[in-house]
Amino acid sequence: MYSELITSINSAVTNANATLVTPGEGEIGDSSVLINPESVLEVMKFLKPLYNALQVISGVDYTEYIEVCYFLAHFDPAAPKDVMIKTRLKDRVAPKLDSICSVYLAANWQERECYDMFGVSFNNHPDHRRILCPDDWEGWPLRKDYKVQEVYRGMKVNPENKMNRDDQLFEDNKQKGNEADLIAWALSKGL
Amino acid sequence: MQTWDMDLEELKEEETNLPGTKLKTELLTVNMGPQHPATHGVLRVEIKTDSEIVAQAIPHIGYLHRCMEKHCEAIDYRGVIPFVDRLDYLAAMSQELTYSMAVEKMLGTEVPRRALVIRTIVSELQRIASHLMAFGTYALDLGAFSPFLYAFDEREKILTFFEEISGARLLYNYFWIGGVWNDITDRQLGYIDNFLNGFEKELVKYDKLVSSNRIFQERTMGVGTLSLADAHSFGATGPVLRGSGQAWDLRKVDPYLIYDELDFDIPIGEGQRGSELGDCYNRYIVRMLEMVESVKMIRQSMKLLEPGPVIGKVSKVIKVPKGETYTRTECPRGELGIHLVSMGDKTPYRLKVKSPCFTHTSILPHIAPGQMIADFVASIGSIDIVLGEVDR
Repeated sequence: MYSELITSINSAVTNANATLVTPGEGEIGDSSVLINPESVLEVMKFLKPLYNALQVISGVDYTEYIEVCYFLAHFDPAAPKDVMIKTRLKDRVAPKLDSICSVYLAANWQERECYDMFGVSFNNHPDHRRILCPDDWEGWPLRKDYKVQEVYRGMKVNPENKMNRDDQLFEDNKQKGNEADLIAWALSKGL
Repeated sequence: MQTWDMDLEELKEEETNLPGTKLKTELLTVNMGPQHPATHGVLRVEIKTDSEIVAQAIPHIGYLHRCMEKHCEAIDYRGVIPFVDRLDYLAAMSQELTYSMAVEKMLGTEVPRRALVIRTIVSELQRIASHLMAFGTYALDLGAFSPFLYAFDEREKILTFFEEISGARLLYNYFWIGGVWNDITDRQLGYIDNFLNGFEKELVKYDKLVSSNRIFQERTMGVGTLSLADAHSFGATGPVLRGSGQAWDLRKVDPYLIYDELDFDIPIGEGQRGSELGDCYNRYIVRMLEMVESVKMIRQSMKLLEPGPVIGKVSKVIKVPKGETYTRTECPRGELGIHLVSMGDKTPYRLKVKSPCFTHTSILPHIAPGQMIADFVASIGSIDIVLGEVDR
């Protein structure tokens, strides 16, 4: 589907290493184009005339690598098209990518969100801050190995008395098959 | 306000207040929000002002961040629907539609014909309700109170209908994976028909009262202009992009549901009534014209409604095959995209929501410099953001 695009990317940008990613055996969904992380900026510069809008930058943590997906679309009713460009970052300690803010203005906030949630740093970003979490928050929330910090500015995060454990208690009792306990628990909750 | 104190000290030392010398000026930082009626929720904008003129505006978001994307990684596919409701709480049906379409695409579920038609009717009604809210609060931002009451009167009728079919007024959980939860009856169709007849007359009233009002036009025309090239570069969609003059609408370009069978136009900003292309007035008028189109669409879809089941065959425990998808639909505020990654489990591996409001809020720092503060309020209102969706 994207074979022409891939050939043109490879011929325009050296070491872009663009390859097609298709759903494998027993898999389903959309295909995408995988590129080399070092060549993101050049590839985006090349794609800008073909796709006039960057829709979203989405990160996925596959534990062995972090994947950053760029969804590009061409907003032209006569020739609508879209593509998903992916890149994989092996380094989990300090993953780095080139910022594409100079190419698409939309990248500014999208890259900030990717940094906020996955800790991917973007070189030459004009305003490299967290966006949804507080500036002094620790850790990268959407990574699979994320542990919530215990104390934030002297306040306990998720204090025991504010956690809703009702669902968990209900499931535990149900699994035990202890019906009398379940009824007693429900009565104590006033249900 | 701290900059003002510093200034005072310097003034004393330098005695710049002597007659004949020029007053020293400095930019003043003012925080607008997070509790401010004109920011439509908990948006905080740090404004650097030069007297009444905005020199720089920096939006600070995240006050309503509820970790929705992280939560969704731990709950099953059906349980996600109430979560997506709470993104854009003024157009919850449209969010549910996008999410269920994404899951259906992965599962390969066939949605029954009647469910498709009901979904179309309900999404278009939701679009009207959402645009009415935008219209009412926008007039309120600009100092007109009565349009707000008229708009809420009509919106209430739609919410009553939604309450009847789903049991809730704002957060519905009505679109399920595979179809819709409940069928709609002939009596309810009659109710919609009645509503539409009355609503068309109301639209004429809004046009006379607000759209052709001289004061309203003065406040919105030539304010917050966004060029088409910038709109593209920012990734703007929906009424913001169409207000800048491009007829881009997913319902036409990449039809889903039964939109390919319906006859409708895409209203765009054309500098109506002497306005400047891409200004606040154009974005506003696109929404008003879209309501007319929605009325047309609902009337046509109601004729296509045939008896049949309203929910397709979906297994009791949903396990989505391994893979990923990016599904987008045209929501009232723009294109909503769902990036769903599945590992073949009962829960999504990753669910990323591309929110149109998030994209549109990032335009604010671009259009703010040089505006009066009151015009900046008009600009925020014209892009019609819902902070639940910005922060997720």
